[in-house]
Amino acid sequence: MSQILKFIAFRVGSALLTLIGVSMFIFVAIHMLPGSFEDVLAPRGPEELRQQIADKFGLNQPLPVQYVKWLSAVATGDLGISLITQDPIADSFATRVPVTIELAVLATITSALIGIPLGLWSGLAHRRTAVSGIARVAGSFIMSVPDFVIASVFLYVFSRYSLGLTVGQWVPWHEDAIGHIKSVILPAATLSAVGIGLFITTTRNAVIGVLSKDYIMAAQARGEEPRDIVRGHVLRNISNPLVTTLSIYLAYLIGGAIIVEYVYSVPGMGRFLVQGLLNRDYPIVQATVLVIACAVVLINMAADVAYGLIDPRLRKG
Amino acid sequence: MILQPVIHHWRDFNRADRLAGTASVTMMVLILVALLAPLLPLDPPDQVAAHPRLSEPSADLVFGSDNLGRNMLSRVLQGARITILLSAIAVLLASVAGVAIGLIAAYSGKALDEIISRFSDIVFSFPAVLMGLLITAIVGPGEFAAICAIILVTLPPIVRVVRAAAMEVTGTDYVTIAWLSGASPARLLLVNVLPNISVPVVTQVAYSISIGMLVESALSFLGLGPQPPAASLGSLLREGSVYITVAPWLVFGPAIFLVIAIWSTNLIGEGLRVFFDPVRARCLEE
Repeated sequence: MSQILKFIAFRVGSALLTLIGVSMFIFVAIHMLPGSFEDVLAPRGPEELRQQIADKFGLNQPLPVQYVKWLSAVATGDLGISLITQDPIADSFATRVPVTIELAVLATITSALIGIPLGLWSGLAHRRTAVSGIARVAGSFIMSVPDFVIASVFLYVFSRYSLGLTVGQWVPWHEDAIGHIKSVILPAATLSAVGIGLFITTTRNAVIGVLSKDYIMAAQARGEEPRDIVRGHVLRNISNPLVTTLSIYLAYLIGGAIIVEYVYSVPGMGRFLVQGLLNRDYPIVQATVLVIACAVVLINMAADVAYGLIDPRLRKG
Repeated sequence: MILQPVIHHWRDFNRADRLAGTASVTMMVLILVALLAPLLPLDPPDQVAAHPRLSEPSADLVFGSDNLGRNMLSRVLQGARITILLSAIAVLLASVAGVAIGLIAAYSGKALDEIISRFSDIVFSFPAVLMGLLITAIVGPGEFAAICAIILVTLPPIVRVVRAAAMEVTGTDYVTIAWLSGASPARLLLVNVLPNISVPVVTQVAYSISIGMLVESALSFLGLGPQPPAASLGSLLREGSVYITVAPWLVFGPAIFLVIAIWSTNLIGEGLRVFFDPVRARCLEE
């Protein structure tokens, strides 16, 4: 037991280090941006006004001091205020984070439920060349279609022919539950398409890899039922690649939903970030990038811990 | 003929994996057509009013014409040239840097290794498009931003692959023997290590090119890639999506080209992995 705890503690500590590095990276990157707060807020303002703004945001202090101040504010949940609307960014996050998470959860469930069984089936049937070939072509094809191409195809089909789904408009669920479902299907389907390809391909490759192992041959030689072999050996041994795939996909969903949110006008984190960038609203960019990158670090940490829980051999070191 | 050995190797490659063999030929054709487009008997991509506006695809206008009457086929080929060239240049730079950094991490002692690994973890925590947005914010939209973004996105995986492969090779008997028999570090590196890590690296580079095309076109789709009048496949998709209900061919032309390019590159990567991995290749044959 203590080995597991030690393993988890190590992973958590390592993730914390990465988080600090990520926050420094973002801080430095934002400070390299051309044009300062004064230029955004008072492009042609008098010198005193620019001075006031610099004082207000603490821009005259040395960078390390600014960094520590920013980090300690972030730690207490204060993500700063928007330069343009002057609203606290944390308040905007309260409405935007749930939207992105809702899409991510829907897309993950859909693509795992469709992709894993298909991958498993085509992997188990890989000696029948027809099934195997089709699965390989289909999986790699879906994986190669960029999300904005899928989105464009959906936009074309669903705005050309009225098929009952809302296109390019987001309806919050508390306003109209059915309207919400109609508006959520297309973005979620676009995100799932990528995931289905990913899950088919990785599951299939993992299954084929496991099937070539000696313990499968041994199990067959012992006369175990194919069903038991799949349950006892194949499924257990493909769980690690599946965890990897899941973590890659979740990271894509949280950061990569930027484009899908942009195309479908979904008021989530990605759209918030793009708008912040276009308006040069740097506090928004800083906060959004920080939250997304932290989420990715935490996802990777969870995956690392999961590897150790699934496979005791990986707990060492 | 110079091509003889190339064809010979391609035959082996094609035999190991027909899909990847076909993909490699397709990719070759795409690259040649995109590079040689200025020599083909086509309208110049920026010639306005060469055709009626928004004409549907037909026999002499395969991809139709856009809202300014430009020939879409010429524009798609020009866009493909930008997309393919940008990601190829970026991935070339990333692989040279990645091999160097990965080898340094593998052989230079614990402290530097830890720093390099930590740093690639940090960079890897930014999803591709997010990294692209951050870079464009700093250096401004354009080709340079796209190249920087692709390098930063593809570098960490290359470093990891090189580092892991180099460490594995170092533990093998043939390296120990070469070292014992007095080979210099340079010889060890060039003769024993580099050739033996080339397989995973080449495979990773192939995947990186497809990621590069994806990142480049995603940035251009958001309007942050090469600026007009230059247009990559992503910018063409962006322009076309305005007219999606009236002139879907403006989207489908560049989309088809982009998807085929990315798909072929992915299949080539997969094919290379199978081709160079004899154990795996054998179990697939059985």
